[in-house]
Amino acid sequence: MALLYAWRAARVTPLGELYTPPRMTGVLLRLTVQVVLVASLWRGLYAQSGTTAGMDRGQAVTYAVLAVLASRLRELDQYAGRDSVMQHMHFGTIVYWYLRPLPPQRYHALRAVGEQLYGLAWASAGYVVCLAAGVVDPPGSAAVAAVSALSLLLGQLVLYYVMLLIDQFCFWTLRNSAAMLILVFAQNLLSGVYAPLWFFPHWFITLSSFLPFQATLSVPLSLYVGRIPLSDAGLQLGVQAGWVVALYLLTRFVWRRAARRVISQGG
Amino acid sequence: MAGNIEVRGLSRTFHTTVRRPGFTGALRSLVNPERVEKHAVSDISFDVAAGELLALLGPNGAGKSTTIKMLTGILTPTSGEARVAGVVPYRERERNARNIGAVFGQRTQLWWDLPVRESFAILRDIYQVPQAEHAARLREFDELLELSAFWDTRVRHLSLGQRVRCDLAAALLHDPPVVFLDEPTIGMDVVVKEQVREFLRYQVAERGRTVLLTTHDMTEVERLAERVVLVNHGLLVLDGTLDEMRRRFGSTWQVRATLADAHTTVGPLPGITLVHREGPQVVFGPDGAAAPTVHEALKLVIERYEVTGVAVDEADLEDVMRAAYAQAKAEV
Repeated sequence: MALLYAWRAARVTPLGELYTPPRMTGVLLRLTVQVVLVASLWRGLYAQSGTTAGMDRGQAVTYAVLAVLASRLRELDQYAGRDSVMQHMHFGTIVYWYLRPLPPQRYHALRAVGEQLYGLAWASAGYVVCLAAGVVDPPGSAAVAAVSALSLLLGQLVLYYVMLLIDQFCFWTLRNSAAMLILVFAQNLLSGVYAPLWFFPHWFITLSSFLPFQATLSVPLSLYVGRIPLSDAGLQLGVQAGWVVALYLLTRFVWRRAARRVISQGG
Repeated sequence: MAGNIEVRGLSRTFHTTVRRPGFTGALRSLVNPERVEKHAVSDISFDVAAGELLALLGPNGAGKSTTIKMLTGILTPTSGEARVAGVVPYRERERNARNIGAVFGQRTQLWWDLPVRESFAILRDIYQVPQAEHAARLREFDELLELSAFWDTRVRHLSLGQRVRCDLAAALLHDPPVVFLDEPTIGMDVVVKEQVREFLRYQVAERGRTVLLTTHDMTEVERLAERVVLVNHGLLVLDGTLDEMRRRFGSTWQVRATLADAHTTVGPLPGITLVHREGPQVVFGPDGAAAPTVHEALKLVIERYEVTGVAVDEADLEDVMRAAYAQAKAEV
């Protein structure tokens, strides 16, 4: 019941950004520069070739630009707001998460919903601009649009649980900077943000299929650009849903263990 | 709701790994870690009546914060039981959360990037406080803590005193019958400290809240608490009034008198000893466990001897606490 009343908690990080215009300007500049550079890079790479790794120029540019925009979905600056789990553990303020009638796991999830919706607003605005400017292609059909949107939603759930696991590390290690660096690199590489997975060797694609990262971005973007045909969408959505369930169960278990690890300084 | 606290035989033992010194020792600790038990709190029992302010005192590492964490439901005790407003806090954490408010020193529960009023609004929603009630409570807190001067400021821009005042308000916004304050005035200037003390006095006297306070500030204890619980090394050393604590640990007064006749023979007085004499100047001090209070001693000295001047030196609460900690350490 408290969840219904606590929706305001979802606004914390977006509101913090709105109160800090320089952060928003920085994001706008970074996204603009990244989109321009990525679009130019992939156009340049395709200048001398037709179809590579099963993707033509339009598909590759669209995939790469959408990957840049989608990466904004969960990239808010919690650290500047002293609001990351690691900082709460470090400063001992994590105790307050356990002193409210809203369980920590629901509070964490609410915050993530707010952050991802805010990120979605940025990504959507960027998408509309890029679509209008002809940088990205529209989806092949309404069905493709719907399936990719559903896949993106599942992908964001997978991403949330992966990020949550990293946050949960802090209950044992107090710090997760190194894990976070590894995660960001792995996420960008294995989800196809740096380059679509289709360009990697076969063994690499096989390896990444055993990890949750490609379910976060590679699948929805490949569905959008048509690299994964609609006929295969059911299987891909099923795999994504499987990751969501598996990670949900794992993180729920870890939350229970974490509650026993709430330590803070002082006798 | 009755906001009483009952603590019965509460204990908490932590298991920690001892790191051996040096490189080899560190390697050995990795391969064969040495586990030790640390009894942070051992068999502590006390009660706090509804509407009472109790000071939980003790040196650093005595077990005060661990006790508070068990009473707030953050930690589960190894043995014993506690009830806060009728709820076992570590078993019903969410139900307990509605009955308690807490401030942990300088650790803020406010959101760093948001104006204070936004933080208050988030807490209002989390605790499901009706809007009208929330507004009325904010007005009351504003009158006592002068919050409106800075409650539209982002938390990151507040001074320590402003932030702790906001944290106090945040902890009480949902009208909890029980409040836990772990060194709430640490690092504050005297003016803000007094304002916070007045706020706490009001919450106890007028609002009937039960307050469990830990502090190292003895002025705070003197001004706020009638009853104290003293812990050291996880053990309860004393549960009583300030006067009882003074009697047990603080009989360190001295009565300085100037005798009218420098040749007067100074004899023994019940529970009073002659500490020093130089001509007509005599200094008396307490003798044994049955020593009188400083005021009783003064009366006895004046009645027994003809004096032209008299002065008393009484140990303040800081001295009493120092003596108490030292004695408790010796007993352990």
